[in-house]
Amino acid sequence: MRKSIFSILFFLLVFVFAAQSFAKASQVNYRLKWLFNTSVAGDIYADAKGYFKDAGLKVTVKEGSPEKNAINELELRYADFGVASADQVIRALDKGAEIFVIAQLFQVNPMQWIYRRDKPEIKTLQDLRGRNIGITFGGNDETIMNTLFAKADITKKDVIITGVRFDFTPFFKRKVDVWPVYRNSQGVILKDRLAREGEDVYFFNPADFGVNFVANSVITSQAMLKKSPDIVEKFLNALLKGWEAAMDPANEAHTLEVVKKLDKGNKDVIRKKQLNATRSLIKPSASVKIGTINMEAWKQTEEMMLKEKQIKKPVNITTRLIQIK
Amino acid sequence: MLFRRIYQFLIVYIIGILLLLMIKTGLSLSDYVIPGVALIVETAGEVTKEYFFDVLNTLSVAVLGQALSIALAFTIGIAGRKSSWVGSFIKVTAYNIQAYPIVALAPIIFILLGDGFITRLLIASMICYFPLLLSVLGIMATPVEDIEHFYNVTGRMRWQLEVKIRAFENLSKLTTVISGSATLAMAGTIVGEFIAANAGIGYSIRIALYQSDLAKILVALFMIGIIISIYQGFLETIGEQIKTKWSISNGGEVL
Repeated sequence: MRKSIFSILFFLLVFVFAAQSFAKASQVNYRLKWLFNTSVAGDIYADAKGYFKDAGLKVTVKEGSPEKNAINELELRYADFGVASADQVIRALDKGAEIFVIAQLFQVNPMQWIYRRDKPEIKTLQDLRGRNIGITFGGNDETIMNTLFAKADITKKDVIITGVRFDFTPFFKRKVDVWPVYRNSQGVILKDRLAREGEDVYFFNPADFGVNFVANSVITSQAMLKKSPDIVEKFLNALLKGWEAAMDPANEAHTLEVVKKLDKGNKDVIRKKQLNATRSLIKPSASVKIGTINMEAWKQTEEMMLKEKQIKKPVNITTRLIQIK
Repeated sequence: MLFRRIYQFLIVYIIGILLLLMIKTGLSLSDYVIPGVALIVETAGEVTKEYFFDVLNTLSVAVLGQALSIALAFTIGIAGRKSSWVGSFIKVTAYNIQAYPIVALAPIIFILLGDGFITRLLIASMICYFPLLLSVLGIMATPVEDIEHFYNVTGRMRWQLEVKIRAFENLSKLTTVISGSATLAMAGTIVGEFIAANAGIGYSIRIALYQSDLAKILVALFMIGIIISIYQGFLETIGEQIKTKWSISNGGEVL
């Protein structure tokens, strides 16, 4: 009698553990880098339209913020996938993190600078001389701008550098001429606000001057890649399918509808403009497949960070980039 | 007093670091999430000098903010000690305003005044002012019957004398409150620097946060802890010295 009770208990335990591990395998957490808005439209779309579910995955898409760091969460096992900027990835690799990039979401870095049209257009890097330029000290815009300065032999004496934060008042008050913005979110809002005051703007895009600093990419841990390559593949396929659909102009209404449910802070007209701006950064041309990893841009990003002493040694970034087909 | 403060801080700091290292080892975390001892030491070598001056910069604003708060709290506290309608009005207003999270006003101050020294000073003063005011009001509004009675019945009581009696009789409490408010002033300044500054240790911590550099943050916390411990110990020593000087056993000159 006692033996049979033990046998039943043993089978029950095995069943519970098996069920748990199966449930865990198909349930994943995905930490975004930023708040829910049009710049994460593809992530929202894939979730809302059931692409993850169709792939047999239960994905919890978690909103990001400046304080949340997907790499930390991967290591602490709070997340299985995440979005991180290239500088975060390279810094983490420099400090021994075991992470891999499995897709590059932004083909063009949204980090750009806005300036008024009543100022001369920046046609060459030399046109930066004498301007009051906003920089987020410690942010990746600082690294990008320093690279541009070095490229044009511009020293700190040739320009006025002003440290900036989220508040745009110094730009509105014209205390700073050239202000760093995320082209597809803040850039749209600022352009709209200034247009209402009868002012027009230019955007200064470092990529136009040969500086390609990679932005947001999808990352996962080495453990996840080793233990569950099938889940990684399923997740990524569903995610990129979501992004392709969200960026398709034919689905614009659907995309704006699902984003609106989570992004209450912006007006419809702004969201529409933000979506258009995001489209040109994620899929700059029809031939570009979303998620394509630009190896050369990654190498350039690593070189820039090394030169700027953001990292202590080369991290051989190309060994950490996996283009999953 | 001074050394006790430093020892206490060092014990807490070392326990904190050990806990972090235990978590790091237990969960096999990389240096990116929690830095190892070697990286902390290496980072300390790189940034200690810079952070030392940053903390001094922050401390100078905090001390100024605290001095302003003390002056204002004593002025209002002395004015509000009476049970007249003015006193009651001041007390009720102070109690109600202090219930509001002052730090939430920081972004408005930043928008109106921009970043820089004045914004930091104002935020630091506001954060440490209200707790100070409530303590000073409490002390100043409570009569020391045993002593005051004599001056009241002999008609020799003046407001200056009343304030002196109440301050002297509560000197330990006042010293503790002022010393404690140093931490608040420092915290207020650091909060101000997070939001609206281009200098100070709060600003440096924000930059380290952008770069997810916990080693730099740990070094910054160490510098803040050591310097604030020295400052608090200094305040407590001054408090003790004033107490000794005012002591009745030394002649009772104060009254």
